[in-house]
Amino acid sequence: MTIELSRRGFCIGTALIGLQTVSSGAFAARSEDGTVRLGLVAPMSGPNARYGAFSLRGAQMAAKEINDAGGVGGRKINVMPGDSQGTPVEGVSATRRLIDQDQVDFIIGDVSSSVTLAMQPVVEDAGVLLLNAASSNPMITYKAGVGGFKWTFRNYPTDENRSLLVLQYAAEKKGFTKYSVLSVDTDYGRAAIHFTKKYLPRFKSEILTEDYYKEGEVDFRSVLSKIRDSGAQAIIMYGNADSAPIVGRQMMEVGIAGKIPLIGNAEFNTASTIKAAPKAMEGAIEAAAWLPGYDSPKSKAFVDKFTAEYREAPNNHAYVHWETVHLLAKAIEQAKSIDREKVRAALSGIHYDSAVGEVTFDDHNQARLPMILLEIEGGKPVVKGAYKAEIDYPK
Amino acid sequence: MFYTIIEQVVNGIVSGSVYAIVAVGMTMIFGVLRAINFAHGEYYMLGTFGAWFAIEYFDLPYPVAVVIGVVATAVIAVVVGNFVMQRIVGAPAEAGVLATLGVALILQNTVILVFGGSYKFFSGGYIEPVSVFGFTLAEQRILIIIVGLIVFVGLELMVTYSRMGKAMRAVSQNIECCAVVGIDVRHIALWTFIIGAGLAALSGVLTAPVNVSVYGGMGELITFKTLPIIIMGGLGNVRGTFVAAMILGIAESLVATYVGLQFRDTVGFATLMLVLMWRPHGLFSAQARF
Repeated sequence: MTIELSRRGFCIGTALIGLQTVSSGAFAARSEDGTVRLGLVAPMSGPNARYGAFSLRGAQMAAKEINDAGGVGGRKINVMPGDSQGTPVEGVSATRRLIDQDQVDFIIGDVSSSVTLAMQPVVEDAGVLLLNAASSNPMITYKAGVGGFKWTFRNYPTDENRSLLVLQYAAEKKGFTKYSVLSVDTDYGRAAIHFTKKYLPRFKSEILTEDYYKEGEVDFRSVLSKIRDSGAQAIIMYGNADSAPIVGRQMMEVGIAGKIPLIGNAEFNTASTIKAAPKAMEGAIEAAAWLPGYDSPKSKAFVDKFTAEYREAPNNHAYVHWETVHLLAKAIEQAKSIDREKVRAALSGIHYDSAVGEVTFDDHNQARLPMILLEIEGGKPVVKGAYKAEIDYPK
Repeated sequence: MFYTIIEQVVNGIVSGSVYAIVAVGMTMIFGVLRAINFAHGEYYMLGTFGAWFAIEYFDLPYPVAVVIGVVATAVIAVVVGNFVMQRIVGAPAEAGVLATLGVALILQNTVILVFGGSYKFFSGGYIEPVSVFGFTLAEQRILIIIVGLIVFVGLELMVTYSRMGKAMRAVSQNIECCAVVGIDVRHIALWTFIIGAGLAALSGVLTAPVNVSVYGGMGELITFKTLPIIIMGGLGNVRGTFVAAMILGIAESLVATYVGLQFRDTVGFATLMLVLMWRPHGLFSAQARF
């Protein structure tokens, strides 16, 4: 009986291996169906699903525009989403699935820095080009290009620039020197504060209290009353958009709204955040890669089209993913092929006109991009200028 | 310094009141059904979503939305109670764990499927800050403390004087004897479950205005906050749960201020471990249920 069973098992096993070979054979004909398979890793569910939804819509809108105009090199772009749930573990398995099963040609992702950092070695092993559009932890490109990971590119400014510009604006225009930190406990929040500390001495400033919150935290009052009593002139917050309204409302409760402004980046400028806590958001200073009010014809056209299409104004993530798909399409066009090596070479030397200025990549595969500084005045975000800073890579 | 400590204790009492209203339902369900309800946080979430839906889609005032949130959750609890919870009375403990975990996943994912996974903005409630004895608190937080006290006094009166309450106490002490003397155990189990889920929903709608954001996965955190409370309070012990919730709320508030916000979530389980080393059955006896 045992022998018979194992024979049967052997037969089934062999058949399965056979099937596997056949199906791999089918997959080996990757992209011969005439499309460009573009994987998009983003948090489609979980607390950060909002970002994923915007990213996907932005990418799909760009793909549709390119496809309607005849595709790229005659190929249509097929966006294939993978859900990272905003966590590194899920992000890595989504990436593997896109590479192994869906046989994608290129990947764009993730929104979260922690996830992107985890995806980098995976795409490197597979030799698949990863074009990041929305993570800002500086380590991502410290480790890329001449830093080691040759398949990772990033079309997004880094937190090192962001921290520097925010601090510079706060010190020079507002005269702040004493800060409290309230940031999200992730690679993004921690890195932004790490680099803020790097530039503190330059502006003769200091941090008086330092706290990090877990994603999903809803009670900030204890920390906010500590900040109120600390003598801080501003709160440095690098967090997610969903925490900003809660922090704002609780700032009103502990009586610091309008007295100690928020500076950093956590989508202080979205209409719903300002509506949730108008008094707390007044005077908030933010450095963003892009915002809907950015004054350029290409940006305005994007906002109008997105709003008409989805009946909702786009956020930063929608824009950067839309722009990055167009950037990739241009690289493919220049390479005249979807061969990954050729596209990678094309990206390295590209000059692409984005809505915020020309995009070129440095030897760490990092796009040179400006950051837009804005301040909330009278309940509206007011752009204070776009600043560019070279990255000070560790030697 | 002294002022800050008092302020943090007041903050802790507010958080404690929220935990207490959620946890008391969970501990009652344990008392009667002998099952830890891992889906408890989901009823908190359902209540909040019910109220959010009422405000967002029908523009109803907040008090009406509170009623809708609680009633909608109670209706769902009747369905889940009939199909799942009644069947785990007297079943092995694993059945209860798996069944409630399953319910949690179904409820959470159904909400995500229907409303999307993203955060929603809750716009109702009374968020204006008021000064009480020199402390500023949102009106909503004062409401939470008052409702918390009313709920506990009400429960105390119910289990002491009402027929249903007496039956609940009896079932929590000995199911077999209750069955022998003719108490409808399944009926009592169902009602305990509905009351427990309703209280979780009430807690959700009360905190939504100050927590601002509403999303499908919000219940998980509450379930895991509630677990150490009900264990510390002596599983099934209502008064113990109230005290344990206050201890956790105040401890969390002090840790967030003096140690760091990032350590807040570790407080519950760290306190639980300390308590269990000293008193393995929790701070209060599980024998003295209700």
